[in-house]
Amino acid sequence: MATLDADRPMTAEEKKVIFASSLGTIFEWYDFYLYGSLAAIIAKQFFSGLDEGSAFIFALLAFAAGFIVRPFGAIFFGRLGDMIGRKYTFLVTILIMGLSTFIVGILPNYTSIGVAAPVILICLRLLQGLALGGEYGGAATYVAEHAPHDKRGAYTSWIQTTATLGLFLSLMVILGTRTAIGEAAFAEWGWRVPFIVSIVLLAVSVYIRLSMNESPAFVKMKSEGKTSKAPLTESFGQWKNLKIVILALIGLTAGQAVVWYSGQFYALFFLTQALKVDGATANILVAVSLIIGTPFFIVFGSLSDKIGRKPIIMLGCLLAVLTYFPVFQALTKAANPDLYGAQQKNKVVVMADAAECSFQFNPTGTVKFTSSCDIAKQVLAGASVSYENATGPVGAPASIKIGETEIVSYDAKNLTADDAKIKSTDFKKAVADALKEAGYPTKADPAKVDQVKVTIILTYLVILVTMVYGPIAAMLVEMFPTRIRYTSMSLPYHIGNGWFGGLLPTTAFAIVAQTGNMYNGLWYPIIIAGMTFVIGMIFVKETKDVDIYAND
Amino acid sequence: MVKIFLGFLIFAALALFVILKGGNSLDMGGERLGDDASHAPAEAASDTASDASAAK
Repeated sequence: MATLDADRPMTAEEKKVIFASSLGTIFEWYDFYLYGSLAAIIAKQFFSGLDEGSAFIFALLAFAAGFIVRPFGAIFFGRLGDMIGRKYTFLVTILIMGLSTFIVGILPNYTSIGVAAPVILICLRLLQGLALGGEYGGAATYVAEHAPHDKRGAYTSWIQTTATLGLFLSLMVILGTRTAIGEAAFAEWGWRVPFIVSIVLLAVSVYIRLSMNESPAFVKMKSEGKTSKAPLTESFGQWKNLKIVILALIGLTAGQAVVWYSGQFYALFFLTQALKVDGATANILVAVSLIIGTPFFIVFGSLSDKIGRKPIIMLGCLLAVLTYFPVFQALTKAANPDLYGAQQKNKVVVMADAAECSFQFNPTGTVKFTSSCDIAKQVLAGASVSYENATGPVGAPASIKIGETEIVSYDAKNLTADDAKIKSTDFKKAVADALKEAGYPTKADPAKVDQVKVTIILTYLVILVTMVYGPIAAMLVEMFPTRIRYTSMSLPYHIGNGWFGGLLPTTAFAIVAQTGNMYNGLWYPIIIAGMTFVIGMIFVKETKDVDIYAND
Repeated sequence: MVKIFLGFLIFAALALFVILKGGNSLDMGGERLGDDASHAPAEAASDTASDASAAK
């Protein structure tokens, strides 16, 4: 069991524990970035032959696989981990994750086996999602139960650094393969290589995990016959525990998730899509900020052992609430000053019958917004134009007024695909011309991108991520007793990150399109982080001094 | 700790080199909701759907 020796260095066994646990989360991130990078190729290989109805169903299933099933995996594997042990559950989750990834690499495509190809792919993704749900809680619990009492924050924070490592690893494997075999071969068969090479990562992970010992806390509890017979009932059926699970979700992980998604993903999206900075420059600036920011996971994890987890996480949420608007505005000024200038000078108004306008929330990507108002707003949001909404005549198509120019939108509901395409091209051209005349740039001028300032801003956003994410594993572990720890901490983590965090980009876009201000998407993370700050400050107790074995 | 830090720096330098070489062809946005691989067939059916995705 963990000792109270504060000053001794990390032992070889403890290093091995951290390394073995982190391999699973590296896998998680490797996969996450692989699917993002290879989305277009996978679509072509597995979904291109489907009719629209089947594509709709597969889109829903892919959405479920990516984000919805993880909490169910958390419950399923959490229960196993609390009943049969951390080590074996841990082995099962990494085996499922690793094999699913590997099999994607050798799976025949739609041309070879027809509809069975996307069906098997989706099944593999669902399995992966389930296993992922059990992985993080296991890693955090396993490391924390091996860590000295006063170093749990420092030890568990190493797991959090794996997001950056997984990203870089995936990019290296993808680009290495592309460079070695060429673009054409990569699109045809080379995309399989990054999936197939994951078998090496799996082999190393399994080998190391097999050589690990079971968590001492779990061994002790088992030898005393005190393991839970029904972790789910204990965790979620008893109010005293359920209350803590709910608090862990709304008072900790929800805010942590939105701050994390905003800093690591929304910032990149904002740079490339809203500010029109070219992809190569944006990638480099984000990568540099991640490299500078990543060591802060350890800094804040270690600091949380001294001053507490709660102050650091809450300060991260508070800073996000207070500074997101000015910081993203500063990002606009630094990355695309011409856009900033045009936004200040020119007023754009969308005149529309309110009944025509939808809240364009589309998490599965399957809904088509075809009214004249929705189309007008999509085009303006896509061009990063902030606009005002005005009520137009009932039944009339929406129109966009840019300076003195008025462009009437169109309804695509009853148009054929070809007609819709022609209308769309004409409409977008008319809007683009008017915007150009009003001074809106189509791209950020590379010569005017203040790279130093942009990097400083992005690093600040990543440091907020490290504040909320660095100490979170230790805090979640310390909130629950050993007998139900795996189950209880996994669920709020995955609902927080998968649902609150995963929904950030699509919710932010819907808010931007609805309100007409490109910064208004920030209201989503601000409101969630604000909620977490208030609830966390009032109801969540500091845990750094908690004896995690006290109630065993 | 020093060894880990140095290892991280080497790894990071290698990653930066890869990203520099990759240019516009790299996507660091990760897996996304509503913009999944399985949407490819729908794009042909409706241009506005792809507009929405692009704007995301």
